[in-house]
Amino acid sequence: MCSALNEEDAQTCVACGARLSPLVAGGDAPLPEFPQEPPETPSDPETGDQDDWLARIRAGVSSVEEPEEPPAYSESPTGSPEWLGGLRDADDRYNQGGPDEAIPDWMDEFIAAGDEESAEDVPDWLARVRSRKSTRSGEGEPAEGEEEQDWLNRLRDESAQLAETEGEETTEPGLEGLLPGAEEELDRQELEAPTFEPVDEVDRPTPPVLDLGILSDMPGVPGSPRSSGAPPAEERLAADASRVPSGGFGIDWAGEGELTESLEVEHDSGEQEHVPALVSDESGERPIVEIDESVLDSVELPAWLDNIRPLHAPPSEEPAEEEDASGELDLAPATLPSWLEAMRPVDSFRPEIEIESDDVQQVESAGPLAGLRGVLMAEPVVAIPRTSSATAARLEVTERQFAQGDLLHRLIEEEERESVILRRPGRRLPLARWLIGLALLVAVIVPPSINRLGLQGFSRPADIPREIAPLVTLINNVPTDRPALIVFDYTPGYSGELDSVAGTIIEHAFSRAIPLVTLSTRPTGPPMAEALLSRLGTAYAAVNGQSYLHLGYLAGGPTAVQLFAISPHDAVLTGFLLPDADEQAGVEIGPEVHSTVWEHSLLQPINHLSDFGMVVVITAGTETARNWAEQTHPWIGDTPLIMVLSAGAEPLVRPYFESTVPLVDGILTGLPAAVAYQELSGQGVDAAQRWDMFGSGMLAVELILLVGSIYGAGAWLLSLRKR
Amino acid sequence: MGSIDLLGLLVLLVFIILLFVFLAIGERRRALFRPIEGYEALERAIERAVEAGERVHLSLGTGSLIGTDSAPALAGLAILEYIGHMTTLSDKPMVVSTGDGAMAILAQDSLRNIYRSAGALDRFGPNRARMLGPTPFSYVANLPILLANEDVSAHILAGSFGAEGALAADFGERQGSFTLAGTDDAQSQALLYATASYPLIGEEIFAAGAYLQQDPSHRASLQVQDAVRFILIGGILLGALLRILGINL
Amino acid sequence: MKLGSYMLWAATAVGTGVIVLLGYFVQLEAGAPTGLMQTVFGLRLLIMRWAVLLAAVGLLLGLVNLFSVHWRKISDQEQGWTYSTILILTFFITLLLGLVFGPDSPIVLLLFNGIQLPVESSLGALLAITLTLAGFRTLQRRRDLVGLAFIITALLVLIGSGPGIVPNASAGYGFFSGLRNWLAQVAAAGGARGVLLGVALGSVVTGLRVLLAMDRPYGD
Repeated sequence: MCSALNEEDAQTCVACGARLSPLVAGGDAPLPEFPQEPPETPSDPETGDQDDWLARIRAGVSSVEEPEEPPAYSESPTGSPEWLGGLRDADDRYNQGGPDEAIPDWMDEFIAAGDEESAEDVPDWLARVRSRKSTRSGEGEPAEGEEEQDWLNRLRDESAQLAETEGEETTEPGLEGLLPGAEEELDRQELEAPTFEPVDEVDRPTPPVLDLGILSDMPGVPGSPRSSGAPPAEERLAADASRVPSGGFGIDWAGEGELTESLEVEHDSGEQEHVPALVSDESGERPIVEIDESVLDSVELPAWLDNIRPLHAPPSEEPAEEEDASGELDLAPATLPSWLEAMRPVDSFRPEIEIESDDVQQVESAGPLAGLRGVLMAEPVVAIPRTSSATAARLEVTERQFAQGDLLHRLIEEEERESVILRRPGRRLPLARWLIGLALLVAVIVPPSINRLGLQGFSRPADIPREIAPLVTLINNVPTDRPALIVFDYTPGYSGELDSVAGTIIEHAFSRAIPLVTLSTRPTGPPMAEALLSRLGTAYAAVNGQSYLHLGYLAGGPTAVQLFAISPHDAVLTGFLLPDADEQAGVEIGPEVHSTVWEHSLLQPINHLSDFGMVVVITAGTETARNWAEQTHPWIGDTPLIMVLSAGAEPLVRPYFESTVPLVDGILTGLPAAVAYQELSGQGVDAAQRWDMFGSGMLAVELILLVGSIYGAGAWLLSLRKR
Repeated sequence: MGSIDLLGLLVLLVFIILLFVFLAIGERRRALFRPIEGYEALERAIERAVEAGERVHLSLGTGSLIGTDSAPALAGLAILEYIGHMTTLSDKPMVVSTGDGAMAILAQDSLRNIYRSAGALDRFGPNRARMLGPTPFSYVANLPILLANEDVSAHILAGSFGAEGALAADFGERQGSFTLAGTDDAQSQALLYATASYPLIGEEIFAAGAYLQQDPSHRASLQVQDAVRFILIGGILLGALLRILGINL
Repeated sequence: MKLGSYMLWAATAVGTGVIVLLGYFVQLEAGAPTGLMQTVFGLRLLIMRWAVLLAAVGLLLGLVNLFSVHWRKISDQEQGWTYSTILILTFFITLLLGLVFGPDSPIVLLLFNGIQLPVESSLGALLAITLTLAGFRTLQRRRDLVGLAFIITALLVLIGSGPGIVPNASAGYGFFSGLRNWLAQVAAAGGARGVLLGVALGSVVTGLRVLLAMDRPYGD
């Protein structure tokens, strides 16, 4: 009842007091003898005739139509609980007992078993049943309903006889303590042979759950599983449970009382008969529910049993009459979600809940609910337990669920697994880049070959920029007694262009024997200056230390430019690649003579920036050009500032040249301007030697850009058309 | 003797006053700026890189810390701070490269502050900011190695670049990375327009703080730039008109 | 960072910045500066020399950082560690040679002229190829008016800059040459001036933010 755990041989529940072992019939223990005649029950004006309660159940419609008052509760003199008193007032339908003559089929087992046993081992009641059966068989098979009534009546008679002969009464503790008047009640009531009503006469509403626990587990009830040491409850439930008497089980519920002879339990030893609980034994045998009929007769059923419709007969005995279902509740069958269905153990439960119609619902054939229709089947959970198989917990898994579970499992595994860094797929070969590079390479290699073959290359530029002529004039006017400062402020990456452009002015200065002093704000500047000057000076016999000198690296970037402009001696102390004394014939110079580079003869006239003859800044960056122009302007004085730039820097530096107050006095941008300068000055060949390669390269670039533009424009137009 | 350039001081004072005025106004009325595609795509690119377990690379340029080269690099620090906060706790935090030693130290210090503010100082390492080369082309020569080895998927150039900036952007494009490039040099900007997916033209690089961090001071700075720009436009037009009319000031 | 140290760094940065900035507004004429201007100018020069020293130290630290990064690569056997090994070897060889023989020794010049100069020149050539390819793909990547104007301008400037599709001696070359000059010296120069102004404005504001401690590269 309350799901509390109890000892195996406990007869009542320690928590709620419910009887743990039902009243069973059969089993190893000798069954109590049923009285020959049903005990006479005192006529109770409230309950009416309590005889043949089962017969009344089988009365069917007539019984249902007759509104029967639920038995009024009469409190026992001893003050028993109200609910127990209510049990006394059972419906007459359920007090009719079993059939008088009909012997149920399940009894055949006992009869057959008894045939094999000796007469001494056969209990008396079974012997009586057999005798009755044999008599019956000789007389022919009566009607089934009559047969049921006959055998039950015989059982009652036998039990009554047994109660009279034995005459001992025992009481059970526990419930009798709760029911002080139980024995008196038992004395007063006679066990009646349960009479069975035709099952087709019993109305069957929605099968109620009949709680027989209290009825079957009552201690002190003769014949109860606990008191008689009957087999486990499951076996007992398998027995005919339809022998619930309408008038109760013949127990004195209220009194302390002594049990009737029919309910007499052998307690000679003082031990309580074991009423095993409803658990499966290892043998898996169907337990036999032993229910004392006299007990069943005296039990007062609760009022709610009034609503229970009479049990239907077995399928062969189903009545032809249909029940009036007007009073039934029309409930829609519940449906379980698929995932819940899948969690059902396959072996233990039905695959789905089925609410069968009244026609197909089976009639309960055992236990106190015998004869009722719609009773929840005890089998196989309780009545027919089976040892769960190894796969009892196997779930029904659909294919989709399996896939989902597998996906989840893989996801979890991936979280734990260290992911391998996937290499990017190999990039496509940069064919376009290779082709363009090849085209440009061919373009710059071919012209020298053409020149060697004596073929004429590209013609010299016809238009000379307007700033070239003033520049040529400016350099022609630079004094030769003072050195010119050449600033190499570009990286080696721009040396391909700027070496040729700057070489024009350097060659012009070499041609006029203007001493040159180099400086750089980059670490790579001085080596590049040495490389260029030494290469170009070869043609003019320019020697380091005589024709040119290197001041070296000016650290500090743009900040250092202003420092140099303000005070050159403070900004630069040591030079770069100063010649040794041994290399200079006739001039004693060396580290022991000069403490600073400024003591060199070439630099003797220089104290300020304005002392230089001219300042030439060679750079590819606009920022460097602007720095020199802006930082040196306050201190350069009349010394011309010339910018030698890459073609790309021209737009940003030219404003300094073309402003009303120009900061830059001369500008030379790009190879075309350098070639034009050489053409105009008649000095230098370095730029002109690169003119053909420059031209062919330009041609290749222009063609490539044209092709790309045409292709891109065409694709663009096509995409516009598609839209 | 010397003289003080009062005009210059006056212009400087105007800048400072406008900065504080816009800072005060910005508290109440939020200014609207035009959308810059590069900054809008930057957030998505960083999120995508973080989600994909790839790295974000920021280059602060090849310019020096002293001089005018430092201005775009300082603007790049705003981008560094923005990206740093987004990638500090990712699987592959960002890496910063420079072409100058002092700039590399500055980047290291900025990253260290970001990691400290995120409570992940233990994840910081000195190699998070590095100098790839002392010269511009040596820097660019090392760049493809860094992009390939570090599995960079977002390549941002924000600093002073010369023509080598075009090579740097092209290396990122060849890597298949999201490339956002900006510098202060107009010549380099033209090259970046041709090679980078998202170039920053003009002074858009100086708007990084206002667009990314949404800091009130950055927004006020951008408004000051716009205000002074319109003043200069007015002055240029007025000067041109006067010159046309023959009035020499 | 504690409040005290933060205030110290902020005060140092702001103070030095203000002194250097004010020094730029001092125009020195012939003769030695005197009085307040002398003080300001002298401080500015001093701080600028310190900045130069710090820049050199910064370069040294950057080289140390470069070395440590590649050394870690070698230690961890990361991808490309062989190139890091070559870099460190050449780094130390060049450093030793420069320290022993001097930076202007013939052997160092030989290394420069034989390795660094050709390598960087090649990168410059690679730049030309890259820009040509970028021009080839301009209209495929940027299908807008700006992209169209970009490629058309590039073609016109190239044609007018030197020999190519249009020979120098032809009559049409003068037109393209003049057009190129106009594009480079008027249109491009004007646009570049505008860009320069904007960049200058941004630079001024960025510097002011540092001077006013709104931007704190030295940490919070």
